[in-house]
Amino acid sequence: MAGDVSPRVLIVGAGPAGLAAAHALSRQGIGDILIIDRDDAPGGLPRFCHHPGFGLEYAHWPYSGPGFVKSLLRDLKGADVRIECRTTLLSLKDGPEAQVVGPSLGLRSIRPQAVIIATGIRESNRGNLAVPGGRAEAGILTTGQLQQLVARKVPLPQHVKSMIIIGTEHVAFSAIWTARMAGLRVKAMIGCEDRVMSFGPIGALARACGIAVMTNSRVREIETTHGAVTAAIVEGTYGTRRLPTDGLVFTANWIPETAALLGGPVAIDARTGGPQIDQAMRTSSAGIFAAGNVLHGVESSGWCAKEGHHAGEMVARYLRGEIGGVRNGAMVQIAEGIEFAVPQFWDCTLAHTAGMRDLPVNLRMKQDVEGRRIALKAGDTMIQSGARKRLLRSRRIVLRPGAIAVPSAVRIRLDVTD
Amino acid sequence: MTGAYDIAIIGGGVVGTAIARELSRYSLKTVLIEARADLGDESSKGNSALMCSGVDVPAGTLERELVRRGYIRYCAEAPGMGLPIRKVGAIVLAWTQEQEAILNKDLVDAHADGFAAEALDSAEVYRRWPHFGPGIRGGLWLPDEAIVDPFSTPHAYALDALENGVEIRRSWPVRSADRMAQGWRLHGPDGSLDARCVVNAGGIRGDEVDKLAGYSDFAIRPRRGQYMILDKAARAIHDVIAMPAPTPTTRGILITPTIFGNVLVGPTAEDVPDRDDRRVTEAGLAQLRQAIATMAPALAHQPINTIFAGMRPATQFREYQIIPRLSQGWLTVGGIRSTGLSASLGIAEHVAGLLIPGLFDAPRKARTRQITVPDLSETSQRPWQDVSRVESDPAYAEMVCHCERISLGEIRDALASPLAPKTLNGLKRRTRAMFGRCQGFYCGARVQTLLNAQSSAH
Ligand SMILES: Cc1cc2nc3c(=O)[nH]c(=O)nc-3n(C[C@H](O)[C@H](O)[C@H](O)COP(=O)(O)OP(=O)(O)OC[C@H]3O[C@@H](n4cnc5c(N)ncnc54)[C@H](O)[C@@H]3O)c2cc1C
Ligand SMILES: Cc1cc2nc3c(=O)[nH]c(=O)nc-3n(C[C@H](O)[C@H](O)[C@H](O)COP(=O)(O)OP(=O)(O)OC[C@H]3O[C@@H](n4cnc5c(N)ncnc54)[C@H](O)[C@@H]3O)c2cc1C
Repeated sequence: MAGDVSPRVLIVGAGPAGLAAAHALSRQGIGDILIIDRDDAPGGLPRFCHHPGFGLEYAHWPYSGPGFVKSLLRDLKGADVRIECRTTLLSLKDGPEAQVVGPSLGLRSIRPQAVIIATGIRESNRGNLAVPGGRAEAGILTTGQLQQLVARKVPLPQHVKSMIIIGTEHVAFSAIWTARMAGLRVKAMIGCEDRVMSFGPIGALARACGIAVMTNSRVREIETTHGAVTAAIVEGTYGTRRLPTDGLVFTANWIPETAALLGGPVAIDARTGGPQIDQAMRTSSAGIFAAGNVLHGVESSGWCAKEGHHAGEMVARYLRGEIGGVRNGAMVQIAEGIEFAVPQFWDCTLAHTAGMRDLPVNLRMKQDVEGRRIALKAGDTMIQSGARKRLLRSRRIVLRPGAIAVPSAVRIRLDVTD
Repeated sequence: MTGAYDIAIIGGGVVGTAIARELSRYSLKTVLIEARADLGDESSKGNSALMCSGVDVPAGTLERELVRRGYIRYCAEAPGMGLPIRKVGAIVLAWTQEQEAILNKDLVDAHADGFAAEALDSAEVYRRWPHFGPGIRGGLWLPDEAIVDPFSTPHAYALDALENGVEIRRSWPVRSADRMAQGWRLHGPDGSLDARCVVNAGGIRGDEVDKLAGYSDFAIRPRRGQYMILDKAARAIHDVIAMPAPTPTTRGILITPTIFGNVLVGPTAEDVPDRDDRRVTEAGLAQLRQAIATMAPALAHQPINTIFAGMRPATQFREYQIIPRLSQGWLTVGGIRSTGLSASLGIAEHVAGLLIPGLFDAPRKARTRQITVPDLSETSQRPWQDVSRVESDPAYAEMVCHCERISLGEIRDALASPLAPKTLNGLKRRTRAMFGRCQGFYCGARVQTLLNAQSSAH
């Protein structure tokens, strides 16, 4: 392919966030959109996830993962959107200027007017977590890897018949579902917290399926013999237990995929590991926006699609000259007990721009907290406070402050109050 | 499978493959036998990947001589095979007066023996490496120490040997050996073969192989070394081989860049009863973390890609166990404990010198065929960075392993090579696919699919 192939908008990642962003852009009359994805087909993580529960917040229907992808692709029918798979964003510079490589584009720099980063997230694996023990040829997995193995019909070795799931967030149940579909016996689910991080009833359901749910527990060692997993040595208040198993699935401990951003102009938030944005999804580099799980610990696919949709609308505004293209405003100060909050910046000047009302602040707590509230304050003025009695760790907590009409000089703070 | 050979080399680690390559230069019928499905799958797969000049090996030993020779030859011959070398240099650090005294003596010895070495005072150490932890009194700078690719090295040796007429049998564990009128009959899983001379390069199982022939001059005392691999960002902070001044008992834990662009922390040194016990332990990890905290605290919060352990084929002796029983047609190359990668070409030359003309009056071949293997180093031009290569073969533009940026083309090439990897670990070592931070979250299933397609095609 010769000549300049720079599209008007480059979207990186054809997961829910990227696909929904393209849809929003084309609904706003923006064409010449190129979506690249480094995988061999569009869809992102949901494409390997065959159970229901995808797209709820966006499409208001509990699609299966691939079903949700299909619906997102259907939305793009007739739009001026090209999807180029097997194509990787290598780096991103001010401009924006993107270096990409792929079989049809080759190795080249492209200079779109705007870029939306929607590169998603991955789970920490055994190595990242430095869990001691032996090594195995097969059987020490992450949920994502297990799901891809199953979806791509790669058989697990004959001797692998059972699994232990590490972690108790929602995704752990996805792992259980996939493992069972693959004919594996799930023996136990192990979490270091004092409760199941996902919904309580789901924990009860797991128990009903004969899965031992062990909270306050951690895997101290993976026992292997001749390159095969034989047991997990688990430690808890009860002491140490040896749980025989043929494999382990490490779930959650999310890490945003920012490889292409490292060393570049897009500022990364040390708390989330993803780009810092303001409520218009703008990053620190002009014309570069971000949406979806690359911004934060895992969110549902529907939520990410909504974020993508919002980013698409903001890019359309930027291209029409209604808003600037670079992150603006003051950094939201966050209180001790809060793990992270997105967006990190709040641009008060956007208050006067129509359509900014539905911008939520999404945050997570470091610990479960009872009887306290989350308050968003500008100076001493309370803007909004979360009315929940219990603030649970690893659950999405959302404030919808709408347009904050305060002078931009005033400090915006997220507090945990009585 | 049967056959009659002049020489049978048992063991396809870095030592056995180097010997095979060396012997391929002579008009001899040689076979290299490896028990495992892939070569380099035992001691040679888990090491620090240092190409040592020999400066820190005790003088007057055969080990010193062969490491020194191996280093010189590797620097001369590796580039021709496509193997990368980065002379990043080593800094040996002293925190105590006692360590300083050791380094002062080492400096004198190094100069006397003709090695490059320079004493650095504390200020100079911190000027060069501002990220080092506090309290360093001085260091010994060894500029010739290098890092290499430990996986491609035995592969390149084997490919070279194969190209030059050595037969290679994999998945062929030698189970017993019978003394014949002329040499030995070795029995494997599907038959036997005869060889006038056997070279035992059984590495971590060298004593067991010797026992097949009735010899028991040494016993393997496996010494485990645990490691931690830090992600690429760490190398921007730390790009030198750093180690504490050695004590009489151990060489200490290194922090070194790898040729693949990461930072490696390790190894521990633990004598373990079971040579297959490559476990990483909580205590081992604590030692590694302590080494980081002392030497390079700036690395303390760098993400870990993976943890693993290697096993040194140590024996009750410090010295290499190279035992030529030429009249019996059995040459043992054992106990190549912790310098085998560096010494490999020196050992190979030494072994060839014992066999020829001692046992075989074989002429050196007039011509040898050159081979090259892909350069997997991070600092080389990666295939995807080469515009013309990408254009002529788009498979190099399609990334499969995203963390290490390994393309479909590279995986395809490895699977189509004459010594195609048979296992996922073999494929990883040949391409770097799945070596990165995600350890297969993104690409594990696809890489496995490619490997399975290849094996079902055969
Ligand atoms: C095991 C599991 C189970 C889940 N179960 C549910 C569920 O039941 N319900 C639900 O709603 N959500 C679920 N989720 C969450 C859901 O999958 C995510 O919310 C959603 O996929 C996030 O969408 P995204 O577009 O931000 O990222 P992703 O879906 O991760 O898509 C990112 C895309 O970017 C591409 N990419 C990354 N880097 C580059 C680059 N440098 N160049 C080019 N392309 C790149 C990737 O190939 C990928 O296709 C689950 C997630 C997991 C892991
Ligand atoms: C922690 C650690 C750090 C190290 N660091 C360095 C370093 O930085 N630099 C350096 O130069 N060296 C280093 N070394 C040393 C180096 O790794 C070894 O010296 C070298 O790998 C030994 O190679 P080998 O071929 O003798 O043994 P191995 O690699 O063990 O090879 C022996 C082979 O013989 C095969 N075999 C055994 N029995 C049979 C049988 N019956 N039939 C057929 N095949 C058989 C095995 O399968 C194996 O493949 C380190 C080692 C360790 C463990």
